[in-house]
Amino acid sequence: MAETLLEVKDLAVKYKTDLETVFAVNGISFSLNKGETLGIVGETGAGKTTTALTILRLLPERVGVVGKGQVLFEGEDLLALPEHDMMKKRGDKISMIFQDPMTSLNPVHTIGGQIAEALRLHNEKNRTREQLEARVDEVLEMVGIPPSRKGDYPHQFSGGMKQRVVIAMALACEPDLLIADEPTTALDVTIQAQVLLLMRELRDRLQTAMILITHDLGVVAQMCDRVAVMYAGELVEKGTLADIFTGARHHPYTQGLFGSIPKLEDESKTLLHPIDGLMPDPTDLPEGCRFLPRCPHACEKCKEKQEDIALSPTHTARCHMLERKV
Amino acid sequence: MGASQPLLETRNLKKYFNTAAGKLHAVDDISVRIMRRETLGVVGESGCGKSTLGRTILRLIEPTDGAILFKGEDITRLKAAGMREMRMRMQIIFQDPYSSINPRMSVSEIIAEYMLFHKMYRTRAEAWNRTAQLMNTVGLARRLANAYPHELDGGRRQRIGIARALSMNPEFIVCDEPVSALDVSIQAQILNLLLELQREFGLTYLFITHDLSVVKHISDEIMVMYLGQCVEQAPADELFANPRHPYTKALLSAIPVPDISMRDREIVTIRGEVKSPINPGIGCRFAGRCEYALDRCLQSDVPLVGLNEKHLCACVRAGEV
Repeated sequence: MAETLLEVKDLAVKYKTDLETVFAVNGISFSLNKGETLGIVGETGAGKTTTALTILRLLPERVGVVGKGQVLFEGEDLLALPEHDMMKKRGDKISMIFQDPMTSLNPVHTIGGQIAEALRLHNEKNRTREQLEARVDEVLEMVGIPPSRKGDYPHQFSGGMKQRVVIAMALACEPDLLIADEPTTALDVTIQAQVLLLMRELRDRLQTAMILITHDLGVVAQMCDRVAVMYAGELVEKGTLADIFTGARHHPYTQGLFGSIPKLEDESKTLLHPIDGLMPDPTDLPEGCRFLPRCPHACEKCKEKQEDIALSPTHTARCHMLERKV
Repeated sequence: MGASQPLLETRNLKKYFNTAAGKLHAVDDISVRIMRRETLGVVGESGCGKSTLGRTILRLIEPTDGAILFKGEDITRLKAAGMREMRMRMQIIFQDPYSSINPRMSVSEIIAEYMLFHKMYRTRAEAWNRTAQLMNTVGLARRLANAYPHELDGGRRQRIGIARALSMNPEFIVCDEPVSALDVSIQAQILNLLLELQREFGLTYLFITHDLSVVKHISDEIMVMYLGQCVEQAPADELFANPRHPYTKALLSAIPVPDISMRDREIVTIRGEVKSPINPGIGCRFAGRCEYALDRCLQSDVPLVGLNEKHLCACVRAGEV
């Protein structure tokens, strides 16, 4: 049995302002084994990024509040750690790739300097400055950027190159867990292919566990071992890649998501099968099943609180409809 | 007017921008024909000139050279008044539903604005009636008539943009990345709406997008652009089944397919990045990234040649690769 690296238990996060309370994440649980890649899929506002920020404890101060739950990383609850200890984890044990490479680099520092920063802060081996520089060269080479360019500034790089720099920064300390939040969404499709290939190679070589947050089911199919589908702050379906993509039974939202994407094998100009309506307002979520107002199979029982239904040992979905048909 | 006359045609359309470093070839020698009730999809990566092409066709940007024929009439020669009339027949839906509508006007005011400007109806009441009808057509609830854009999500705002374009009863609409800013479930709703409107009103679209699965879904014909030029053009199903230009092949193979049986297929990644569109020089613009490049690719410009009646490709090795 593979070793569990990260376990999120019943996590709930809300954003509190004077005017309203946004229920961003509402009791989610998942676990991740060493070396495994979990894809979290969902639309804008589903709570994917909030989940990632909570794991790293980067929620906006005072506004972002963890209501309940635990984030166990190697058995230790990150949410209970003092800030000083958390800083040691960030960038060293857990690191993150943000969506927009244009804004996640500091425009007034050289890229070499920015990569060296993480190494310097987590310099447990007491490496000398020369050794650190050598490591910077090494990680740049790893992501396919000539080390001679480490003195350049972010504006001298294209979008794809910047995202490589961000990946180099994230992997410089060889973290155990990498959280990638829509790492290729801002990139063109050919550059996206280059970056995904690079991430796949590096992950396999360094045995890094990864949480890949995306709205693109195509990216999930290429990159992930397990998938969690997120809707209105809940994980409505969880399973292995095969469970989600080829399994027989699904949560109606997952079905809707697959029905919404134009498929290449379809003839052109056929109608899609979209989900009607909109994502519920996170300040005013519906009772019971969050998907109820948009669900084509809605009934009375949907107004009650939904439990995860096991469809197979690896596959669960939060919809009571699936229970009956066993 | 023969049945084979295209609704819209461009002949050697060019748009060069002057920059400090030289001439930026945004649209370079594009000739397309779009038949009535059909959709031409234009795909390419950021900076390939696809949006400039769409805007140049409507003369929102003045072309540098070339002709734009709408039902056989060259609109580049029209004066302001003639063009104003023409714009009622040619409309555009913009990419960003957040910046393309006026935040200080209500939904019904935005939709009615063009009709009032062009004095399409004798009385205001008629214009408001038509507005209500349009809201119904694009699926906006009546209660939203007095709402302001900030109260609405991206999908609804895009519906406003569509209603506004439809208010002119246009024959031709340039759709400039209309679904790129939207989530998949909303994207599917808008794509379906555009397809239904096309069937109902006999619309002709120029559909600009960077998303290859979307373009295949909505287009009759597809044109692939690279650095201002058309590198390949073919009917949608043909292009996907039988891509001939190395750039098209790479683009198609780079699409992440939501199918796990395709997981280990080989991805043809193309090396490097797009070169600068400023003073691109002669020869194939893709040659620097192309694995099939030969010396002759750079010796002279590569013309777009017909592989068969409908399939055009600009590659000296189109027959072999």
